[in-house]
Amino acid sequence: MFDFAIAGVEAPVFLLALVGLTVGIVGGFIGVGGGYMVTPALIVFGFPGYMASGIDMTHICGKGLVSSVRHRQLGNIDWTLALSMIAGTMLGVELGVRILVYFKGLGISGVVLLMTSVALMFVLFLYTQIETRRAHKMMEEMEKEGKEVGRELQTSNLPRLFQTIPLAPIIRCRTARVIVSMWVIVLVGMITGVLAGFLGVGGGFVRVPALVYVVGASTHVAVGTDLVEIVISGAYGALRHSIEGNVDMMAVLFMIVGAMFGAQVGSIATSYVRGPAIRYILSYSLILATLGAALRLIYVLTGQNVHWLSLAAVMLTLGEMLFLCLFISSLVYFAVRRRGGKWVPDWVGPLVI
Amino acid sequence: MKWFINSMLGFWVLLLVISLGAAALVYEIWLKGRI
Repeated sequence: MFDFAIAGVEAPVFLLALVGLTVGIVGGFIGVGGGYMVTPALIVFGFPGYMASGIDMTHICGKGLVSSVRHRQLGNIDWTLALSMIAGTMLGVELGVRILVYFKGLGISGVVLLMTSVALMFVLFLYTQIETRRAHKMMEEMEKEGKEVGRELQTSNLPRLFQTIPLAPIIRCRTARVIVSMWVIVLVGMITGVLAGFLGVGGGFVRVPALVYVVGASTHVAVGTDLVEIVISGAYGALRHSIEGNVDMMAVLFMIVGAMFGAQVGSIATSYVRGPAIRYILSYSLILATLGAALRLIYVLTGQNVHWLSLAAVMLTLGEMLFLCLFISSLVYFAVRRRGGKWVPDWVGPLVI
Repeated sequence: MKWFINSMLGFWVLLLVISLGAAALVYEIWLKGRI
């Protein structure tokens, strides 16, 4: 236990480092900041809500930087895409925060926030899961027919629809291999920014699917590019929270100790898998987060009297981080085995390189 | 046990059970009484 003077709490240091490590691995792999997992976990450890947000944002900035550097080395960042999105994202975040303040004025921000989280994450989970299963099946058939399977296969028709929008300027995103109107990218940044600002998160879990299914970037490039956005929004969030006195740097440092290592591992792990594997992990992250948010919502709606609901939400939050890390580690383990010509389960083959 | 490895759903269930078990252990050792 360590006494965090600024936060005014005693919290287990080992758990902070473990949360940093696990969310670092997950974040580096699927391109999210992990705020929707970290903030509830910090609240469980005893940090007040506003401190949990501030600590989370600050550690996300540092972790995002490490992941971005690694993804740049892996060739997964499209700078044209990233820079085009920034303005839209910042504007969207500011708008989202103002919408939140409006609902706060009505006294219903907590319930509205939880309901929005549940609905949004569930819809994203459904779409990502269905599309990824289709892609997985196609890859399995291609492997059986002896055809070469590339790093990415995506079966959604949405990117083609958005790429035909003729609004100038049309830009070429070389790394993402996409030619699309800049306004589509700005709009994606704005809408994901609004959701991020409203929900108080980095927005990666919305932005990565948006980059894949709207802009048409490959999953690896969507992950790397999104992490650049997260560094910028995380830096801004860290600055704002620090000014408000919401950041306990000792807590941030303990989390960063784990996150520095985890972010590297997660980023490198993407080079062992194909796009659908990353999308599978993203969809699992979404459904588990949906369940956790749904339990918290039911707990709030039942007047905070059914305590096992709150406990179940805590278990799910902690368990989700470990589950995702175990799945990612398993995929890398199976990839290494397959490269060595050893047996792997049939369903793994098309997912790993 | 084979179903838990050979089937994607089975593997998902296996990892979830392990993770929730570990979360329960973490709760028992470090977080009981704080919530």
